[in-house]
Amino acid sequence: MEKNNSILKNPLTRLGYETEDILAEGEFGAVLASSGVGKTALLVQLALNTLLRSKNVLHISLDDPVNKVGLWYEEVFQNLVQQCNVKPATPVWETILPHRFIMTFKVEEFSPPKLEERLNDLTQQGIFFPQMAIIDGLPFVESVRNPLSELKILAKANSMSVWFTVRSHRHEKPGPDGMPSLFSHVADLFEAVIQIHPEGNETHIRALKGNKAEAGPPLILDPSTMLMKNSEE
Amino acid sequence: MVNTLRKVRNIGISAHIDSGKTTLTERILFFTQRIHTMHDVKGKDGVGATMDSMELEKERGITIASAATFCEWNDHEINIIDTPGHVDFTIEVERSLRVLDGAILVLCSVGGVQSQSITVDLQMKRYKVPCIAFVNKCDRSGANPFRVIDQLKNKLGHNAVPVQIPIGLESDFMGVIDLVDMKAVYFDGDCGQDVRIGDIPGDLLPEALKRREELIDTASLFSDDLTEAILEEKEVTSDLIINALRNGTLMREITPVFMGAAYKNKGVQPLLDAVTRLLPCPSDVENQALEMDNGQQPVILSDDPGKPLVAFAFKLEDGQYGQLTYIRVYQGTIAKGDAIINIRSGKKINIGRVARMHADQMEDIDSIPAGYIGALFGVDCASGDTLIAKGVNLTMTSMFVPNPVISLAIFPNDNKSLVNMSKALARFSKEDPTFRTHVDEETTETIIEGMGELHLEVYVERMRREYDAEVTTGNPRVAYRETITRKAEFDYIHKKQTGGAGQFGRVSGYMEPATDTDFVFENKIRGGAIPSQFISSCEKGFKACLTKGPKMEFPVTGVKVVINDGASHAVDSSDMAFQAAARAAFREGYAKAGPVIHEPVMKVVVETPTEFQGSVMGLLNQRRGIILGSQDEGFMSVVEAQVPLAEMFGFSTVLRSSTQGQAQFTMELATYKQVPRSIAEELMKKAEKEKKNNS
Repeated sequence: MEKNNSILKNPLTRLGYETEDILAEGEFGAVLASSGVGKTALLVQLALNTLLRSKNVLHISLDDPVNKVGLWYEEVFQNLVQQCNVKPATPVWETILPHRFIMTFKVEEFSPPKLEERLNDLTQQGIFFPQMAIIDGLPFVESVRNPLSELKILAKANSMSVWFTVRSHRHEKPGPDGMPSLFSHVADLFEAVIQIHPEGNETHIRALKGNKAEAGPPLILDPSTMLMKNSEE
Repeated sequence: MVNTLRKVRNIGISAHIDSGKTTLTERILFFTQRIHTMHDVKGKDGVGATMDSMELEKERGITIASAATFCEWNDHEINIIDTPGHVDFTIEVERSLRVLDGAILVLCSVGGVQSQSITVDLQMKRYKVPCIAFVNKCDRSGANPFRVIDQLKNKLGHNAVPVQIPIGLESDFMGVIDLVDMKAVYFDGDCGQDVRIGDIPGDLLPEALKRREELIDTASLFSDDLTEAILEEKEVTSDLIINALRNGTLMREITPVFMGAAYKNKGVQPLLDAVTRLLPCPSDVENQALEMDNGQQPVILSDDPGKPLVAFAFKLEDGQYGQLTYIRVYQGTIAKGDAIINIRSGKKINIGRVARMHADQMEDIDSIPAGYIGALFGVDCASGDTLIAKGVNLTMTSMFVPNPVISLAIFPNDNKSLVNMSKALARFSKEDPTFRTHVDEETTETIIEGMGELHLEVYVERMRREYDAEVTTGNPRVAYRETITRKAEFDYIHKKQTGGAGQFGRVSGYMEPATDTDFVFENKIRGGAIPSQFISSCEKGFKACLTKGPKMEFPVTGVKVVINDGASHAVDSSDMAFQAAARAAFREGYAKAGPVIHEPVMKVVVETPTEFQGSVMGLLNQRRGIILGSQDEGFMSVVEAQVPLAEMFGFSTVLRSSTQGQAQFTMELATYKQVPRSIAEELMKKAEKEKKNNS
C-alpha cells in the first residue's frame, strides 16, 4: 500500500503555515477551544499526519488512560484512511505504531521534572526519541508560566516541538488578540496558536498567531469525522 | 438455609504466601463450627489445614484452583472462595473473582505489603471487589500493624483506616481495642473461643481516642447522617460509624483495617463480625450476563430466586464423589430434579444431587437460590460454562476462546504414566478451554497447547502430582503461521498413466490474501470446465495444504483461493485426481504469492512501582517490543506493550529480578504479525537442522 499525497499533507498548512511541521524544534503550539469542541481530535489528526511522515510523536495525556488515547488514534485514523481512500489500512497502521508513544499522568502529579525523568528513561535506553509532543489537559492557570518555561527548556534539549490543548471558557470574553486572558500572559511562549470556534452551524479553525499569509477558504472541523477540511470541500 | 439474601456473603481471602491465609481460614471454620479441631498448615499433625486441597499449591506457595467452602456466623451465611494469587492463570482468576462479592486482604504485620499482596490487590482493583484488611501475626517479633497501614496507603493507594488498635504487640499481644464501640476485646479459653469485652486500659486510652477521631473523620465522608451528627455535636453511635464505613467499603473508597494473630486465635471473631457488617451481600453487587440473541449485549441480572435460572460453573473437581461442579447462581434457583441447559453445548442436564461444600466434605441440600454458591454432582460441563433455564439465552462469559499460542511436546516416562497422562489430559482440557492437546501424526508425540509458558508448566506439574504421571517435556514452541502477501495465479495439470485407469485433472485460478479469515474458497468456473462433482474435491485438496504450509510447515491462514478454469477427462478424472491437482496447484501458486511467516504478538501489561518504570521499558524494548504507552498512577505505573511471544520466554524471571519482585504482568494474544526477515531466516535454519536430525 502506498501512502498517497493527500494523507501526508498537513491540513493546517491550509491556514497559511509554511512548513508541514508548522513548529520547529523547541517551539510551542496551542489549540484553543472550549471543552467538547474537538481539541484532542485536532491534535490527534496533527499527530497522525506527523506519524505518517515517519516522525516520532509522544502523546502526553493528563486526563485519559492509555487505552482511551489509543482509541482516539484508531478512530481518527479510520476516518482519515476512509477519507483518503487508503486500502488496506492495517499495514499503514502497523508502520505508524512504533512511531507513537502514549504517556499518561494524573494531572495533579504531572510536572516538568517528572516528564524529564520519564523522557530520560526512553532516550537514554534508545527506546524512543520524540520529534513532536502533545500535552493534552494541562490546566492553564495563573501559575502555569513556570512549568511552561521549564517545558520549553526540555523541548529544546530534546529537539522536539510541543503542542498543547488550552481550554477556554464560553462565558469568557477574549482579549484584543482574540486569546483568553489566562492564556494571553503566556502567549509569548508560543510560536503558533490555533483556535477552534463554532460559527453558526460549523466549527471553524483559525490561526491566531504564527501564520505568515492569509489563507483561502476557512478551514472547518467536520462534526461527523472530527477531521479538518476546507469549508468548500 | 437462611433464606435472606442480605445475610449472605460470598468472600475471598487473598494474601501473600506465608501471611497466614490458610491458618486464618482454618480458624474461621473452627469458630463458625464447621470443623472441630484445628490443624497447622505444614501439617505437624500429618493432616494439614482444611482449605489447601491441592498439594502443588502448598509447595509452590500459589493457589491454582479455587475451592469454595461454607460457614455461618451471626445468622449470616458465608461462602469462602479460595482465590488464586497468581496473575498467569487468567481464566482461573477471572472465574473465581467474578463469583465473589467482597474480600479479606490478609497482610503480615512483620512483612507488610509484599509483592504478592500487590498482585492480589491489583486483581481486586481490576474486578472492583470491595475489601477489608486483616493485619495478621501481631504476636510475631517485629510486628508493626501501623507500618503495614502506611504501606497500604503508600504502596497500594488504599484509604486504609484502622478500626482496631492492638493491646500490646509481639509476645505481649493480648487483644484489640475496638475503635467503633470503644471497648477492649480479649480472647480467652484454650482456643480463644471466649470473647471477653472489657474497658480500654488507661495507658491506651489517649491513643484510642485519637485513632477513633481519625476513623470518624474518614468515615464521615461517606455518610451524611454521620457528618450531621458530628456537626450538630450529637452522639456518634456505633451504627452510624459502621454504616458510613460500609458505604465507603462498598465504593472501594475506604479499606477498614482489622488486626490479630490467627495462629494464636486472636482477632478472628471481630473480623467475622466485620465480614457480616461491612462487606457486600449479593444484592449489593450488580451482575451482568451477555445476551446471546442480541450480539452479546450486557444484561443486568436480578437476584430474584423466582426468575429463570442463570448460574455459572466456576470450578470442576474430580474428587472422591466423582465430578463435582462448583456453581454460583446469579438469578433464579437450581434445585434437585430440575432440568437445565448448558448454553455452550446446548445439552439438557438433569440435576441429581445438590450440595454445599466444605473443602473436602459435603452436605446435601435441596436447592441453591440466586446469590448462593453450591456444588452439583455428575453434571457434564466444563469450567466457565453457564447453566440456564429453558427459554433463557444468556451467558455469563463471552463464548470467545482464544487459540493457544504455545505448544509443548510431552513424553510419558513409562507405561503407567502413559495411562495416567491420558486421564489427566482429558480432565485438564475439560477444566480449561484454553488448554488443548493432540497427537502429532508425524512424530506421534503428544502435544499440549496453551496460553503461555507458565500455563503449561503448571499443568505438567499437576500431571506429576495429582495423576502420578511422570513426563518429560520438549522445548516450548511458538504457534507460528504462514500466509501470503500478494495475488498469484496457478494452472496445474495432474496426469498419471501407469496402466489401468489413469489420473487426470487440471485446476486453474488464483490465490490472494484474505483478511479476518483463515480460508475462503470460491468457484468461478463457467461451462463445466471442471465437472461440478469434482469442485468439492478441489476444495478438499486446497484445504489439505493449510495444515502444513509449503514454506515452513506452519498452518496457513488468510488465503482466498479462486478457481476459474480447468479440464477433466471422461475416464481418468476422479475425486483423488482433482484433490492431487488442487494440492499441486496450491503449492505452485503459493510459491509465487510472497509467502511469509506470522508470529503471535502479545499484549503485555506490566504493573510496576514507578521507580522501575524505566527498566521495565528497557526489558520490553530488548524483546522486540513496541511500547504503546505508560500510565503513571502515582507510586505505581502501568506499561503497555506489544511483544512477540517468542521473546517472552523467561520474562517473569527477568522481570522479577529487575524490579525486586514488585512488578507483575499479564499477557494475552493481541494479533499475528509478520516475522522480521532476519528472524524468519533463523527459523528456517533451525527447521532445516531439526529435519536433518530427525532423518
